[in-house]
Amino acid sequence: MPGWKYSCRQVVMSKTTKNLERRDFLKLGAGGLAAGALSAGCATMTSSQPEKALSPEAAPPPKPAPAAGPAESAAKPVGPSRRVLGRTGIEVPIVSMGVMNADNPNLVRAALDGGILLLDTAHGYQEGRNEEMLGTVLPSRKRESFVLATKIHLSTLDRKTGLFAKGTRGEEIGEKLDISLKRLGLDHVDILHLHNQSARESVLYEPVLKALEKAKRDGKARFLGVSTHKNEPEVIRAAVEAKLYDVVLTSYNFKQDHHLEVQKAVGEAAQAGLGIVAMKTQAGVYWDGEKQHPINMKAALKWALRDPNVHTAIPGFTTLEQLQTDLEVLRDPTLTDDDKRSLEAPKLVGFFCQGCGECLDPCLAHLPIPDLMRSFMYAHAYRNREAAQALLLDLGLPEFPCGDCGECPVHCAKGFDVRQRVRDVVRLRAVPREFLL
Amino acid sequence: MSTGLLAVRGGLVALVAVSAAAASQARTDSQPAGHPEASALFPKIAGWKISDGPTTYTPATLFEYIDGGAESFLQFDFQDLASATYANAGVGRDKNRRSSHAANAGDSTASAKTEVTVDIYRHKDAIRAFGMYTQERPAGTTPLPIGSEAYAGPDYLQLVVGSYYVKLVQLGSKQPSVLRWFAETVAAGLPGTHDIPAVLKCFPERGKRARAEKFMARDFLGHPFLHDAVAVPYQIGAVNFRLFIVEGKDSVDLRAMVKRYRAVAKSPDPGADSAAAEGSATVKDPLNGEVVLQWKGRWLWGAVDQPGPEAKALVDELGRRLSILAK
Repeated sequence: MPGWKYSCRQVVMSKTTKNLERRDFLKLGAGGLAAGALSAGCATMTSSQPEKALSPEAAPPPKPAPAAGPAESAAKPVGPSRRVLGRTGIEVPIVSMGVMNADNPNLVRAALDGGILLLDTAHGYQEGRNEEMLGTVLPSRKRESFVLATKIHLSTLDRKTGLFAKGTRGEEIGEKLDISLKRLGLDHVDILHLHNQSARESVLYEPVLKALEKAKRDGKARFLGVSTHKNEPEVIRAAVEAKLYDVVLTSYNFKQDHHLEVQKAVGEAAQAGLGIVAMKTQAGVYWDGEKQHPINMKAALKWALRDPNVHTAIPGFTTLEQLQTDLEVLRDPTLTDDDKRSLEAPKLVGFFCQGCGECLDPCLAHLPIPDLMRSFMYAHAYRNREAAQALLLDLGLPEFPCGDCGECPVHCAKGFDVRQRVRDVVRLRAVPREFLL
Repeated sequence: MSTGLLAVRGGLVALVAVSAAAASQARTDSQPAGHPEASALFPKIAGWKISDGPTTYTPATLFEYIDGGAESFLQFDFQDLASATYANAGVGRDKNRRSSHAANAGDSTASAKTEVTVDIYRHKDAIRAFGMYTQERPAGTTPLPIGSEAYAGPDYLQLVVGSYYVKLVQLGSKQPSVLRWFAETVAAGLPGTHDIPAVLKCFPERGKRARAEKFMARDFLGHPFLHDAVAVPYQIGAVNFRLFIVEGKDSVDLRAMVKRYRAVAKSPDPGADSAAAEGSATVKDPLNGEVVLQWKGRWLWGAVDQPGPEAKALVDELGRRLSILAK
């Protein structure tokens, strides 16, 4: 993978250039975030000042767990943008980086420069290339300037049952951790997760616990964790029971049918002093399989963070734009009423007009509405704006369709907002063909 | 990603046009007419029997098999996966079989049994299969003459043939010769080209790091509007940089990419108008620093990662090699 192979030149990037890039980046919209996120002067939020954000559903909003566990600061919120990661005592920005799909070292650099502290990867991501990419970025930075979490998956885990095979060797963890450290160019990771657990028995499996403990004792991992995206409540409670894990990395999003159960388990774990990291907060990116209705990513991230027991989340991003969006949440995680509304499942009326013709008579302008709906479908469902424009130009439409009407009497049998769609699509007529992409 | 990165299609601008015959052949190679049934992908191998599978996964179910790793495969237009495990004759299947995706150098198990799991990922076409293969290929691998390209570790072997990306993992004893035998047998039964993508031949040899090219279906350089790219790392003396080629759907798509890129990145060298059918410019990318660009038709090429004079000279050469390929 190129990312790690040409890292050397990026490491030797001149200081002037790096500063210039950072300025450019900040100008592009992340301005103030780095300073705001990293500033010790963040407005302090005490446990008596719960966040304003509420759950979008009727259930009561989660409450912050009282400080408990080995570290006095555990579960104590320290500001709108930073929380303490349980008993680790690490003060983390509420938005971290899921590195899994990122292959651009410069994006990681921009994330760290923008105020992100915790980077989450795994031994198996991109068959190891993901850790190697991070290895081109991290060794040249001050060790305390980032928190690195990686995850190790044991080869003997039965994916269907979530159980380890009889005779599973815990040593595999140590062997893989050594490989990971070499890839990362580090002598230790901050958090070592047991990857992808879904059963209590596996979270408590003694050979594995001993191997994790050894990694910590040997100084190769500062803290231990467990990751889960199936049977999360069971795994989270097992992590508490084990009294070995410091952190839980769990799926947690507004679309989970059982999110209230996850919320409850997360609260229990936070109260026990575990750090809570949320993943899969974006809930699949789209509402529909056709990928026509994207989920409001900012709102989805805010939804997870409105739970004060979630100390940070690890949305994945691969572009500068996505990073900027996540940094905006870091600056202001308040889940607004608009955000809540956007997280309500849309009524997916689709795009296909069946041509029933019920709209034709009521239309005061006698517009060929079925054809216009077809053009709208070309433009938005097929993303073929050339075809949409060609159809529009063939229809001989008035200059301002819908422009002279007051209230629109058309009620589409399929529920299309006909007036909105007409006004939207007819604008294509004026677009030069070379811009129709 | 169109097949143009694999072999240029007919009707393309003169810069990159190749003969109609060659393009036609490449299309055939990259788009196998018939996809064999899953069971036909797994040959009979003397002394071994299929102990589990084949199991098929679709884009909707791939997450069940490789979790979040599925996302990368979907970006490269993953179509389906057929997975089967072979066991030595007389040896039952290990109930805790693992995914080949989890395999990594250094992995080992205590099992005395020997099994080979064969995962055959089918992508939309050969360029996408090769693209996904490059996503996971480590540096410094020694190529094996299997399929278009292959490499192996102590207990795994990965190869690409036509639109198929194949991953084999051995459980139990580590016998590289067994893995290679399996790989050759499986590859021989798969349809499609055994050539590497033709576009890779456009990259100048001087300073090029072998087998380090990487395809990116989207978000190239961290920008959502730059899609269907291949980048190759170079090292000349102590200077490191990447050369790249981006392929637009057509010249209009390509010019839109250039325009959007230049809206994000400042241009110390104004260069040519983005709307021009061909041109060059140097831009200041907020993520990646200075980037040298040239474009023509539906192709954009250039250099990134602090390109110096050597890189700029190679960018010119890259353009010339594209032209030579066209002739």
